[in-house]
Amino acid sequence: MTYQVSVFLENRLGRLEKVTAVLREAEINIRSIHLNHTANDWGILNLVVSRPELACEKLNASGMSAALREIVVLKMDDKPGGLDVLLKAIAGAGVNFTNAYGRIVNEGGSAFFMVDVQDIPEARSRLASSGLEIIEDTQVYGP
Amino acid sequence: MYWEHSLETLDRNSLENLQLERLTNSLQLAVRSSHYGRCPAIGRLLDSGIISIEQIRDLPFTTKDDLRRDFPWGFLAADKKDVVRLHSSSGTTGNPTVVYHNRHDLDSWANLMARSLYAAGVRETDVFQNICGYGLFTGGLGFQYGIERLGCLSIPAGAGNSPRQIKLMRDFGTTVAHAIPSYLGRLFDVFKEEGLDPREDTHLHTLVIGAEPHTEEHRRRIEEMFGVRAFNSFGLSEMNGPGVAFECTEQNGLHVWEDAFVVEIIDPDTLEPVPDGEIGELVMTTLDRQAMPVIRFRTRDLTRILPGPCPCGRTHRRLDRISGRSDDMFIIKGCNVFPMQVEGILMKLPEVGDDYRIILRTIDDQDEMIVEVEVKKEWFRGDLTLLDRLQKRITHLVRDEVLVRPLIRLVEPGSIPKAEGKAVRVLDQRRK
Repeated sequence: MTYQVSVFLENRLGRLEKVTAVLREAEINIRSIHLNHTANDWGILNLVVSRPELACEKLNASGMSAALREIVVLKMDDKPGGLDVLLKAIAGAGVNFTNAYGRIVNEGGSAFFMVDVQDIPEARSRLASSGLEIIEDTQVYGP
Repeated sequence: MYWEHSLETLDRNSLENLQLERLTNSLQLAVRSSHYGRCPAIGRLLDSGIISIEQIRDLPFTTKDDLRRDFPWGFLAADKKDVVRLHSSSGTTGNPTVVYHNRHDLDSWANLMARSLYAAGVRETDVFQNICGYGLFTGGLGFQYGIERLGCLSIPAGAGNSPRQIKLMRDFGTTVAHAIPSYLGRLFDVFKEEGLDPREDTHLHTLVIGAEPHTEEHRRRIEEMFGVRAFNSFGLSEMNGPGVAFECTEQNGLHVWEDAFVVEIIDPDTLEPVPDGEIGELVMTTLDRQAMPVIRFRTRDLTRILPGPCPCGRTHRRLDRISGRSDDMFIIKGCNVFPMQVEGILMKLPEVGDDYRIILRTIDDQDEMIVEVEVKKEWFRGDLTLLDRLQKRITHLVRDEVLVRPLIRLVEPGSIPKAEGKAVRVLDQRRK
């Protein structure tokens, strides 16, 4: 089970810095960041961090709305066409995702692809039976 | 120059005698309703006979809460079979208010409306476009009947759809239009977008603006934009709707039709009358409505009587433009909104916190109602879809309640300043 930290954020000057300041203070490393902003002046910040539970706790303690949200993480090659190969396989497994972002693990080597899906157990079983490698927590969060 | 020469220029003495006679009639009708039937002061006044209009002060006030409490039939003073129309306020939570009219009432209202338009220089040769919502809102049908009574060619255009409004104006040579002032800025922009100048490309010479308080500067700006004279219209549904008080061509105060209404200005705290020229709360009594007389209605609008005669020769006194409210109601896009209506909706939603704020702001020349709502921490799951859905849901609920589509802005918990005591929930940043 892999979690991203999702934070409710108003689109205002200084809001993002509030989040990074808390993480810095707690010595939490950000591995990947994705900002999902709508035109409504608010949106959701998604983070993959070294210690998600602690990050969530610290953010909530400092007055923000943060939640742990389970995601599915897949491995791909960090080379031209790497994502294309992976996406074809995901589509072949019949899995639709609502949000996605990436993280390079080592340049020219491998990368991770984080996806948000509606039905996690269903998606996991479909992806696994299509032979896709699902990466789990500590590997995703990094050291 | 006058629609009804003798009535409009009646000397003050005769006007007061007419008021006494009509007040007596109104009170006799009013006691047939269950609300006024419970009021012993009316019976006492009728028994002793009314010899001065000041005696009206012996009667209790009627408030919006009274109208709500005795909804729907408590103020009806006529047989239901004789009533031909109702107009009702918005509201799905709690009781709305309703006003009933019989044939005589609609006839009287149409006449007052025609008289008002005539005073502003509108004539039967005009083409009149009513850019105003029809239906329960009184600005649609109220104007419609008056325009027809006056004899203009009426275009019941309804609200919105600016390109169509412009096309109607150009196709039929509209010379007079009625709209809320905040809409006219938007309409002007659409003229510009279409490469048109309303001063050159229409036959407009008069605009009637009302249902929303506005400043003299705002009026002058509208006159400049459209190359017209703009006249202030005042009304409220409890007193029929439009056609209660209207500017004549002097554009200096609104003649309130005193053969149809008794006007009082009171201090909203002491409830005592204030002298002419001093600002206070407007209190009105119907004199010519049979199905539903309303006595000493506290309008909550703040204004004053302009002392002295008007050069136009009309003897009916003039009200100054509305300068504010003695409660927290505000008007946006022509709709009356009480912050409590919005609060009532928000407090029923478990997803949102207790604090909220309403910000009124002019965006792209349109007045908008922004509602800031705090999303509860416990409810937040990091799911964008749920938040989007919540925002849409609040938008619809508020829209259904107050009839104005709000812009709902979800904010982080704790970001709205805590309201202390009588909460300052409304921030009015509109361009005046």
